Amino acid sequence: MVQYGGDEVSALVLDIGSSTLRAGYAGDDTPKAIIPTTYGFKPEAESGDISMGEVGAVGEVQSSKESKMYIGQHGPSVWRADMQIGNPMSEGMISDFKPIPALISHAFRDVMRCNPEEHPILVTEPAWNTTANRERMAEIMFEEFNVPAFYIANTGVLNAFAAGKGSALVIDIGQSQASVTPVVDGFVLRKGLAHSHLPQLIQAHARHTLTNATHNHPPIQLLPHQLIANKIPAEPGTPPRFTIREDRLVKTPASLLTYYENREVDEWMQSVAGVLDQGWNEQVATQRPPRQYEFPTGFNTYFGAERFQVGEYFFSHTRDMVAQNPGLPKTIPALITQALTACDPDMRQVLMGNIVLAGGGSLFAGLGERLNNELSRNFPHVKIHAPGNPTERRYGGWLGGSILGSLGTFHQLWISKEEWQEHGKAIVGQRCK
Amino acid sequence: MSSGIGVNPECLSAFQELKLGKKTKYIIYAVNAEHTEIIPLKTSASSDYDEFLGDLPETECRWAVYDFEYEKEGAKRNKICFFSWAPDDAKIKAKMLFASSKDALRRSLVGIAAEIQGTDYSEVAHESVLDKVSRGN
Repeated sequence: MVQYGGDEVSALVLDIGSSTLRAGYAGDDTPKAIIPTTYGFKPEAESGDISMGEVGAVGEVQSSKESKMYIGQHGPSVWRADMQIGNPMSEGMISDFKPIPALISHAFRDVMRCNPEEHPILVTEPAWNTTANRERMAEIMFEEFNVPAFYIANTGVLNAFAAGKGSALVIDIGQSQASVTPVVDGFVLRKGLAHSHLPQLIQAHARHTLTNATHNHPPIQLLPHQLIANKIPAEPGTPPRFTIREDRLVKTPASLLTYYENREVDEWMQSVAGVLDQGWNEQVATQRPPRQYEFPTGFNTYFGAERFQVGEYFFSHTRDMVAQNPGLPKTIPALITQALTACDPDMRQVLMGNIVLAGGGSLFAGLGERLNNELSRNFPHVKIHAPGNPTERRYGGWLGGSILGSLGTFHQLWISKEEWQEHGKAIVGQRCK
Repeated sequence: MSSGIGVNPECLSAFQELKLGKKTKYIIYAVNAEHTEIIPLKTSASSDYDEFLGDLPETECRWAVYDFEYEKEGAKRNKICFFSWAPDDAKIKAKMLFASSKDALRRSLVGIAAEIQGTDYSEVAHESVLDKVSRGN
């Protein structure tokens, strides 16, 4: 058994999401390293020389003989000729472990400048993670990073605990997944677990709204600033005047362009889009003040009612949409219903009285109020706990892990390297429940 | 998943006294300053419910055991209630600490009839608790 005295464990906490990877020291209130989980790569490395000036700021890793990776803050967001884009996550879980060690190493060694061999490490996982997946994570940590001790904790439980609740219904909206996790006495009620790729639908819808003509605006080009040489200020609603960097555009693969365009969509959603607090009402939406937004091309306009339409998809799908798309992701109310149906009737009231809202996607303007109104109509006692502090909301899982990992008493739960060597993979399931 | 924080034997002896001695009305528990174990902060014989609520601070977490008396169908009954008190305004570290340590305390106390999870005073008000304990039997 590993012994770490007092509260000074200085463990590391790692939380990998679809959009960012968060890493930092246990006990801190924000992660030290927040890097995009998305990485750039070139299928064929140019012969030999890596520009040394960039090492450190950019994680350049020769992961295999034929591909070179670009990781971190200056990774995928810096334009490079013929750079492709990859992301190891799907459905909130790691589906491709190949780039994972490079991403983790960049966060710990390059950004935090610490040696993972010297610190116990606490990793988070989504509630629906598979056994094989968590064992693989343990293996990477022990075998590739030589960590002295390891623990894997569930983000649902961490979010519930960080809100001070042993029993709660955790609604976590991330970049790619929206999930509803019933937590009872510190354990996930697996049968009540519900999740869908709703945020992706909303992003696709926002993109559709922007790139197609509406009564308010012509089709908008989502070109990123990386591909624009210069622009001249334009009056709202008028066609933009800008010069494209054609030389770059021809060397921008489709995956990179899509990544850049989606970032523009996300940006627009975060600053302009919202949802009405009482359900869709054209009149109310038009009465709300319009908001101006300028795209990298210089095109800018005022967005009125349409900025609220986007958020409706969190709560309802139109009949037409349901008829045309059989695989439509479940809305938040539908996910909640699914989760509650699987729970004991006695438990439902406790869960509805203890809703915890988490994840960066839940910061969508007006979402908390709307959810409260929707649920209050159907349930007698609804109470939503949503941290007002955006950092707490966005990194709730990481923060929960940070506090847990900093406790001296937590040492009895760490899986030590010796235990790993003795018992192998089975110990992960036994210890981390 | 738990914090690994232990339970001081005094927690149990205070509880036994409440359960068997019938003199104590309620006990307030908390984690000690070193974050190593759970200790009883206060035991009280006062039957004034407001005094009990006064012992649940506005910005700090606590646990409590309360010997709740009520009347049903003309007969006097009592049930021992377990309270987890974690107000929204408490520090996140305290909330995490208490939520992840609750199980250790809760499991060591045998004979609890109802559990209340409270984040504001309306959830631990006399009527709310009465409503909860008088349901069922």
